Order: sequence, then structure tokens, then C-alpha cells
Amino acid sequence: MADRDRKAELERKRAKLNALREEKERKKKEKEQALKAGATGDAGSLSSGGAPGPSSLEDVDALLTKLDIEPVSARVSRLNTSSEDQSSSSLTPDSSLAAATIGGKQDAASKAEELAKRRAKLTVSQVTQTNIAAQEKVTYTKETQTAQTGNDHRDSHAFDYYVLTFDDGQVDEEESSLSMDHRLPKLPPGILPHGFPQVVDVQPALTASDTKQEEEQKVVKPKDLSEEEKQTIIMSPNFQRFVDKSARILERALSEHQVDIFVDYAKTTDGDDAGEEKSATRLSLNRVFYDEKWSKNRCVTSLDWSAQYPELLVASYANNEDSPHDPDGVCLIWNTKFMKTTPEYVFHCQSPVTSTTFAKFHPNLVLGGTYSGSIVLWDNRVEKKTPVQRSPLTTSAHTHPVYCLKVVGTQNSHNVISISTDGKLCSWSLDMLAQPQEILDLQHRQNKAVAATCLAFPQGSVNNFVIGSEEGAVYSACRHGTKAGILDCYEGHYAPVTGINPHNVPGPIDFSHLYLTSSFDWSVKLWSLKEPRPIYSFEVTGDYIYDVAWSPIHPSVFADVDGNGRLNLWNLNNDTELPSATVQVDGPAALNRVSWTQSGLHVTAGDDMGKIWVYDVGEQLANPRTDDWSKFAKTLAELKNNQTGDDLDQLSLSSR
Amino acid sequence: MLQSNEVEEAIKRILSHKGVVGLVVINHEGIPIKSTMENALSVQYAAQVTQLLDKSRSMIKELDSNNDLTFIRLRTKKHEVLVCPEKDYAMIVIQNPTES
Repeated sequence: MADRDRKAELERKRAKLNALREEKERKKKEKEQALKAGATGDAGSLSSGGAPGPSSLEDVDALLTKLDIEPVSARVSRLNTSSEDQSSSSLTPDSSLAAATIGGKQDAASKAEELAKRRAKLTVSQVTQTNIAAQEKVTYTKETQTAQTGNDHRDSHAFDYYVLTFDDGQVDEEESSLSMDHRLPKLPPGILPHGFPQVVDVQPALTASDTKQEEEQKVVKPKDLSEEEKQTIIMSPNFQRFVDKSARILERALSEHQVDIFVDYAKTTDGDDAGEEKSATRLSLNRVFYDEKWSKNRCVTSLDWSAQYPELLVASYANNEDSPHDPDGVCLIWNTKFMKTTPEYVFHCQSPVTSTTFAKFHPNLVLGGTYSGSIVLWDNRVEKKTPVQRSPLTTSAHTHPVYCLKVVGTQNSHNVISISTDGKLCSWSLDMLAQPQEILDLQHRQNKAVAATCLAFPQGSVNNFVIGSEEGAVYSACRHGTKAGILDCYEGHYAPVTGINPHNVPGPIDFSHLYLTSSFDWSVKLWSLKEPRPIYSFEVTGDYIYDVAWSPIHPSVFADVDGNGRLNLWNLNNDTELPSATVQVDGPAALNRVSWTQSGLHVTAGDDMGKIWVYDVGEQLANPRTDDWSKFAKTLAELKNNQTGDDLDQLSLSSR
Repeated sequence: MLQSNEVEEAIKRILSHKGVVGLVVINHEGIPIKSTMENALSVQYAAQVTQLLDKSRSMIKELDSNNDLTFIRLRTKKHEVLVCPEKDYAMIVIQNPTES
């Protein structure tokens, strides 16, 4: 309907237009005819004298038309119309000449009259001049500007330049333009990198007001993010990951500040001899690892160092009785490389963690043994603090606290060995914590289960190991073979054994049969796997000794910690009666665990209040000399001689 | 809500460092998402650092297209500005190094 209406209307309009055009044409013709008539009349009256009459003029016209030349009358009429049309403009000399020659019959009087008439039309008018300066419209948005210097520019020449080929002349031009400005997109002139012409690289000089404007724009812009939008960004996992990562990096960067890079040695001249003193001391406190939220009031139950990243220390913590709502078990990874005071990673689980270890061949995994008997596995690649795997609590695995956890084997074949106080030893595969691969019941004499508190594998061994028990005896045992289980019993302690540590310093003389035990009976004992009696007993402290550890680099140095908060460092080559260095930690803490860094230059001690104390060991004490191995062999021989002497004394006493 | 707490915790941890004056987390557009400073100042920091990041990043990329910016540490007379940029966000920490 609308279409037809429209068509009809169009038709009507077209008709009207045609009518108008016809009328116009008609009017024009009439006018021309009228003029023609006038002109011929005029000419006739002018040449009324002796000149040829109108008839003769018509003859001329006829003649001219025959020769394809415009008749005189037509020429004259055109001249008249044109002069009338251009009445306001002055006559050009040419046209006036033409008028004079062609209309030669016009007399001078009429010409003068005409000129006068024209001159009268001119008037002097006042012209007022105003200058309106062209407004400079420079509008930039910040985004395009910054983006242009960055990505867009790079994109534009990466492909386009090499794909397109140009004429020689263009190439020349292009080269010259390149030499002028290297930042220009490498395109020939005339071909623009994008659809729109851009004037970015050749910027007009920005005035101060321009830049100000830009800044204002910038300042105004950020308002478009509402609180809710911000909140959604904050809640997004992407953002969480970013914060987690960047916070860690920034913390490290911030703690680097303790090194003053602007120190000026040339400035001050007053020397302080504190540095000399420090090197002379044998044990000096380096730092303390402590976290108000995660380690406060928690007893440090075990320490272990990462094999891949020697600066990483994992520490397990028992429950905090003051805050029952926090998770019972905590595992923290500390970094000794950076001076940051917070843990790198925080892991926790339901039950107090009684032992922990790095997974040795998997730098991301941390294992924990818990009080409930479950083995848990954390992974620092996942963004959660709870275990990624845990072993179920069944009678086929541990049902008592797991006080010791070790990873033994090689890269391709390794197992996690755990031991609990109900005398069970389980070996696990990291891939499957659902059930243990092997279970060994440790029994000694008439099926009496051994309440194992600590476990150690001598250097390089995967089969044989030693365990300390609650009843004070130390056992050697093996995992495989016809006699899997307890092999020998070493009696010497009168109270539960708290720590056991085999000698594992590689060197010219092999001491791997030696091991140390600490006990609640205030003594540390030195054993050899070859002898059922201790070689020596170190009894200087009047308190429980909780842990003992050989130096990883010095054959005759070991450290022990006691319930009084004391850390003793022994060098058996120097003295077997008294420790070479002793340090007491601040506060009323009892030290529960001791561990050396792999470098052997630091000793860490964990206390029952949640602090880990890191001590620097003086270089004289920490580093072995080449003759220390042979010296230690001599010391051992001496100790053995004394022991036999003691035995004889005891024998004589008892026989008396 | 727990995850949001973790963000707060991380920020609190950084702020607990000696000499740290403020922290701003911005997105790739230079809009502050999280800030511990007053609004005007954090907006200013966000805008300026965004420009600095763009410039630095393009500089690094121009020199070696396989390279990328990972961290900026600006030492000034009064402060130190640490910027940890990533693809979508950047974390800015302003600290007073003389105090630490």
C-alpha cells in the first residue's frame, strides 16, 4: 500500500516537474523572439540614412547562414542579452571592442549614455574586516597515543614491509624517510599501516595545555570502575593467582633492602671492629623464623631441607593449644636466601604434623606424617593450603603417630618410608597414598612391638636402617631379605630415644657405621653398628636432649639441643668432654629439633614455642681440615680404649 | 570470601615490611583495583606507572623481541617504587628505603 502511494506521488511530482520545464522553455523562446524583433528594428532605424535597408540586411543574413556563419541579427541579440546580464560587472575591453566593431552602427552618443548609466550603479560601500582565526582542533585520547608507541607500531612493520613490493622510486623515498625517522612504520609513503591516516609518529608539538588536558582525561577515566566491578576482579581466580605470585616476589624484593647498595666506603673513616669479632665467635644468631599466625605456640616437630633448592627449609609444627579453631597441623616452608620474614608457603591439615620431608625428587611436593597416623601430601603448585593427597586411616597402615618420615631411593625408584610408635614401618609410592606398598611389623623378642620414635638410613643405604625406641633401645633393621625386620638390639639408653643420626660425611675414611643418639636420660651416645655397646656417652647437660645431628661437611662435628634451650656444638677432635661452642636461645624455650644446612655453615634449631633459630657457625669450627678424618679415626680409637678401661673398672667394681 | 581474605593477607604482609608507604594493584588499563593509599594519589600513581610500564615494555621489546619486562625498581631521593607487572595486572609498592 505504502509503496503504491509512494509511486503515485513520485509520478505526480515528475509530471509537475515536466510541466515546469516546458513552461520555462516556452518563456525563453518568447523572450528570444521578442529580442530578435527589437534588434532588427533598432538596426533598421539606425541605418535609415544611406545604408542598405532591412531587406538588404536580411539578404546578408541569408547569405551568412548559407555559409554556416551566425547571422548578424543573432549575434547582435546575443550581445545585447549578455551586456544586460552582466550589467553590474564592468565591460571587458574585448567585449566593448566587439560591440563597437560589430554594432558599428551605434553612435558615440548612445555609447556614452550607456556607460554613464552603468557608472551610476556603482556605489562605495563600507567593508568591515574581521579576522577569525582558524580553530586548531587537536583531540587526542591517551590510549591511542600510548598504544601507538607500543604494539601497533611493532605490528605494522613486522609483516607489511616484507610482503609488499614497490617501485624503485618509492623505495628510495622510503629509505630516505627511514633515515629521517626510525620509529616510523616501515611502509612506503602513501600506504598507511591502518585504515585511517595517522599522525602519531610525526606529532605536532604538544603545548603545555595539551599535556595537561591529557592528564586530566587520564585522571577522570578511572572512575568508570565501580566498587562491584572491582570486587568481582578481586574475586577472580586470575587476580588471586596474580596477587599470590607478585606478593611473593615483592616481599623478596623488599627484604633485599637490608643490603645497602648505596653504601659509601670512601665517606666514613672510623672503622669498627665488629666484623672481626664476629668471625671469631663460633656460633652467632643469624635470624629467627617465626610467624605470628601460623607458628605461634606450636612446637617444631621436624625440619628438612630441599634437595633442589638448598635455601628452602620445611618445618612441621604441632597444634597450638591456645587457638583451637586453627588447623592442628601446620607445615611452613621458609627461605634462608631472602631476608623476608614470612614463610614462602603455608600448608596445614587436620591433625598435628609430627614429621615432614621434601619429596626429594619432586621439588614441588612436601610430605607430612601426622599424629593421627595419616600421611599427607602437599603441592605448592596448587593454590590451596590443604593436602592434595592423604592416606586413609586403616589398620593396614599407621594407627599411631608417625614420628619419622624419610624418602629413600633414586630418581627412578624411590619410596617414602614412614614409621609409627605401634611398630609399623610402611613404604609408600608418591603416586598412590591410598594404601602402603609394603608393611613391616617391627618386633623384637616375643612379638613385642617396637615403639619407634626415630628412624635413620645410613649413607647410601635403602635397605638397612636404625631406629630409636621409646623403651630406650636402639635397633638395626632391614626392609628386605629373608630376615626382614629387626636385626640387632643396641642397649645403652635408660629413657626414650629422641633422635638418631648416622654419620654421613664423605671423605677418605668411611665412618658411615657411626651414629649418634639423643635421649631423655640427659646423654648423647656415639655408636658403631659393629658394636653392641656405645663407643662413648656425652653427658654434660642436665636436661633432656631432644635431638642430635652430625655436620654434613666436618667428620668430627655434631650439634645437639636440649630442653633448656641450649644448642651445643661438639668437635670431637678438639674435645670429647665439653662442647666446643654453646649458645642459649632467648626466652624460656626448649629446643626440640636441630638441623644443619647442606653447606654446613649454619645450624637451625626449632623450639617448642614455634621459633626456628638459625645460627651461623664460625668458619674455623665448621670447615674441616684435610687431616680431620685421620684425626677422628685416632680419636675414635682413644674413645674405644677408654671404654674398655671403663668396662674393666665396672667389672672390678661389681666383682668386689 | 576465603579467597578474598588471602588477597588481604598478602597485602597486609607486604605492608608490614618496614618502610612500606603504600601499595596499589592496577589492571592493564591503569585503573586501580586495590589501594592502600588515598584515592587521588593512587590514581596518579596508577596513571603514571601505566605509562612507565608501556614505555619500558616497548623499550625491552624493541631491543629483543623475545624479551619481556618482569620487574621495575625505581630508586628516587625520597622513595623507592617497586612494580611487579604481569599480563593483566601490576602491583606497585612505594617504600621509604631510608627507614628500613
